[in-house]
Amino acid sequence: MTDRLTRNWLVLIALILATTGLATQDGRIAAAGLLALAWAKSRAILGGFLHLDRAPGWLAAFVVPLGLWLALVWGLAAVR
Amino acid sequence: MDLDDLPGELIMWILIGSEILVFAAGVTAMSAMRLTDPAGFADAQAMLDGRMAALNTVVLVTSGLFAARAERAAGAGNRRGARRGLMLAALGGVIFLMVKAVEYAHDLSAGIGIDTHPFFTFYFLLTGFHAAHVIAGVAVLGLVALRPRPDAVQAGAMFWHMVDLVWVLILPPIYLLM
Repeated sequence: MTDRLTRNWLVLIALILATTGLATQDGRIAAAGLLALAWAKSRAILGGFLHLDRAPGWLAAFVVPLGLWLALVWGLAAVR
Repeated sequence: MDLDDLPGELIMWILIGSEILVFAAGVTAMSAMRLTDPAGFADAQAMLDGRMAALNTVVLVTSGLFAARAERAAGAGNRRGARRGLMLAALGGVIFLMVKAVEYAHDLSAGIGIDTHPFFTFYFLLTGFHAAHVIAGVAVLGLVALRPRPDAVQAGAMFWHMVDLVWVLILPPIYLLM
């Protein structure tokens, strides 16, 4: 039986492994996947370690702008 | 949504938001600059060793777990557990810096410098500025461990999670997006 913090850490490790696997791929879809994984990691840190999952509305206040910014980064990377 | 709902001190959240904005501005500038020389940026980026960055991500998120456990222990009045968690988190920071030093040494031995290509200017500025935060974080964790009061441990852990958060956000644009 693992506690919440350990489960959150395991989620982060799984996301890192997924990132490592996807990093071998090239192209716009792989780039979108890598940034989506970065977003998921940031959500896990903000929600699970910084406890924003217990602060109504605040988790979205951080992760939604981060998602928009990562979409901008993807758009700039997609231009060739 | 209320300010009172935010865990910890408001000033720490202002710091976290500010740091995210600073690093996001740097990454956005790098991404925009890339448009002027996509091939040159891709060639420069290909010279980096992403395996060390991946290893450092594992190190940082694991040290984040120890910082979170320290915060929980301090909240429960377990000073010894808090101190142990803080020291393990700080040890993770030291390991991160050692791996980063090896990475920089490898870069320099390959003839890579801050002015080799605009990509490397951003690479050294962003990762160097982040490493400076890791050094500050290790110092903060060490100082808090001397007298692990719950509010101080929470603030130290929040600073450390910010360092962790920034790293996972800057890693793909710097190391992975060709």
